[in-house]
Amino acid sequence: MNSSSAEGKRRQRFDSLVGVFHQDMYRFAAWLSRDKAVAEDVVQEALLRAWKSLDSLRDDAAAKHWLLTIVRRENARYFERRRLETVDIDNLTASQAALLAETPNGELDDLREAIFGLDDDYREPLVLQVLMGYSTNEIAEMMGLKQGAVLTRLHRARHKLKDSVEDA
Amino acid sequence: MTGEDDKDFEQYQALDLKIAKALQIDVPELRMPELPSVDTANVSALPARKRSMKPLWFAVAATVVLATSISLRTSGLFQSYDSLPDEILAHLDHEPYALRVTDVAVSDERLARAVPASLAVYDRGDALITYAQPCVINGKDVPHLVIQGEHGPVTILLMPSERVAETTPFDGDSVKGVILPFGKGSIAIIGDREELLEPIQKNVLNSVTWTT
Repeated sequence: MNSSSAEGKRRQRFDSLVGVFHQDMYRFAAWLSRDKAVAEDVVQEALLRAWKSLDSLRDDAAAKHWLLTIVRRENARYFERRRLETVDIDNLTASQAALLAETPNGELDDLREAIFGLDDDYREPLVLQVLMGYSTNEIAEMMGLKQGAVLTRLHRARHKLKDSVEDA
Repeated sequence: MTGEDDKDFEQYQALDLKIAKALQIDVPELRMPELPSVDTANVSALPARKRSMKPLWFAVAATVVLATSISLRTSGLFQSYDSLPDEILAHLDHEPYALRVTDVAVSDERLARAVPASLAVYDRGDALITYAQPCVINGKDVPHLVIQGEHGPVTILLMPSERVAETTPFDGDSVKGVILPFGKGSIAIIGDREELLEPIQKNVLNSVTWTT
């Protein structure tokens, strides 16, 4: 196989994987960073990194996990570089506020704001479970936690959200 | 299940449905970054050195790779194993499901399949072995085991035919590992960066006997 043909196939494979998982990558990045503009940057970086290391992905069936792991790392790098600490929910930037302004819908808005306000430690496993469909085992693996810790965090996250919805 | 349990479960499901809807934000159109040209002739899951000179690696039959590997090793071209850690880390990435946290131990039968008597005997003692699979690393049969450490799963690779000159520590993304010379082979142990590998090393070395 000549190099241009090999690169063409490589690009085809990459486009195919990204086409399937781009939405997951973006949503995961958005809920990790709580900022739509940051999420776009993180996804761009993640795509570049994925492209460069595509050949380390031997099984396309593992692509979702692989790509989300890259997003997770890029998000961490992004905040490490910028040393952004916490998000002040009463003083949001436009792109942070944009995340909360999605499809206005009374109860859903309150819930989205409550999710937005969750600590990272609670929000991330919740997104991975409810939105990405991961099991608690897989989440524990991805986050480097014990399964018991994930179960505890998910329980607390739901408890907080339930309280928020009931109080609203 | 009681009526109260039913009610709790329904409330839980209803809340999850709402959470899922709240998380389903709109996604902007895919904007592909400018992707740099990648030298596909030098692309490999295993960085650097000799593998990069073998672009047909993935297409080469396993027997040919094994024969090549044996040939090169016996020729004395590979006295050091500086890329072995890379291959080990790549192997772990390839089997992420091995690193699940669970308290379910593999059966004796499964352990025996992963560690055939022709290679080694592994005395499981009271270790919680949660994964056992016969694998191939560097063209050689390698039993791949996972036990549960204090900071998550710990991988153990029994490499009866992979001789190393000295203890070789290495690092990967969020993990650290060590390759220990053991008899005429070696054993790799990889865990979370926070994991204390020394006590695990001691237990593993006391549990393994090569039979090759």
